[in-house]
Amino acid sequence: MKLKVGDKLPDAQMSVMGSEGPALVSLSEKLAGRKVVVFGLPGAFTGPCSTTHIPSFMRVMDQLKSKGVEAVYCVAVNDPFVLKAWGESTGATDAGIEMLGDASAAFTKELEAEFTAPPLGLYDRSNRYAALVEDGVVKVLNVDEPGVCDISTGERFLEAL
Amino acid sequence: MTIKVGQKLPESMLLQKTSDGPRKVVLSEKLKGRKVVLFGLPGAFTPTCDSAHLPSFMRTKDAFVDAGVDDIICVSVNDIHVMELWGRLSGAQEAGITMLADADCSFTKSIGMDYSNPDAGMFDRSKRYAMLVEDGTVVLFQPEEKAGVCEISAGEALLANL
Repeated sequence: MKLKVGDKLPDAQMSVMGSEGPALVSLSEKLAGRKVVVFGLPGAFTGPCSTTHIPSFMRVMDQLKSKGVEAVYCVAVNDPFVLKAWGESTGATDAGIEMLGDASAAFTKELEAEFTAPPLGLYDRSNRYAALVEDGVVKVLNVDEPGVCDISTGERFLEAL
Repeated sequence: MTIKVGQKLPESMLLQKTSDGPRKVVLSEKLKGRKVVLFGLPGAFTPTCDSAHLPSFMRTKDAFVDAGVDDIICVSVNDIHVMELWGRLSGAQEAGITMLADADCSFTKSIGMDYSNPDAGMFDRSKRYAMLVEDGTVVLFQPEEKAGVCEISAGEALLANL
């Protein structure tokens, strides 16, 4: 992971599922002038992502909002169809977490956060991190070691704010 | 080069999630001495795949078995977690359809059926097709000609040509 506190997040085209199907949004437009949380994880429907990482942010949504966080974005190298199904089946979408698909892995690679695990069929996926981002600039950053889901979870990240 | 009737399917390795974890599947071993239906599609949870293509093979499974087909395999460029869950939620797994992940798109590229649509967040995915494969050789090949529809490659359309 190349990203560190004080860096500006690179701009990227992210895939989202709009009311009329898949669409692209500019990450920097989402970040401009706002205080948001961005967290990244290996992928929709993978074990710890579904059972640990996503629920941990669903549990702390109210606390994040009370700290002035305006939006919480989950970034994964998945297409918008899979992310929509995942957001709905986990309850994350209802909880207010917005899914951003880094479908080409361009953003994740720019952060040097990617990993590949062929036996699991995971190529150019994202390691786990959580960042507080104000007007595009990283203020707090918790990066987990590959394969670990600890300091990038909702509760642990909240402690760092 | 796109695969043609009469050609042998290239040697490929696909992945499957089983109760014991991820498993490598050597395609040629699955095909050897068997009559197999193999269909490919753009992706799990995408509208046409979910509402039309996969269900069409769930509907025709019994008719294919009656016609001597040993296995029906669905291939998509997704990871094993997504494929397994999609198979479960759609009912395809229960219907006996084998869900295989071509996670690195190598099989799909080797038969010339890969495509990308960046606007939709789709990179190196599979075009829609269905084929009948006997002992590893393509006997019927029915690629879909238009995007967003599932007609030529649907279960019923392949069955009609058996």
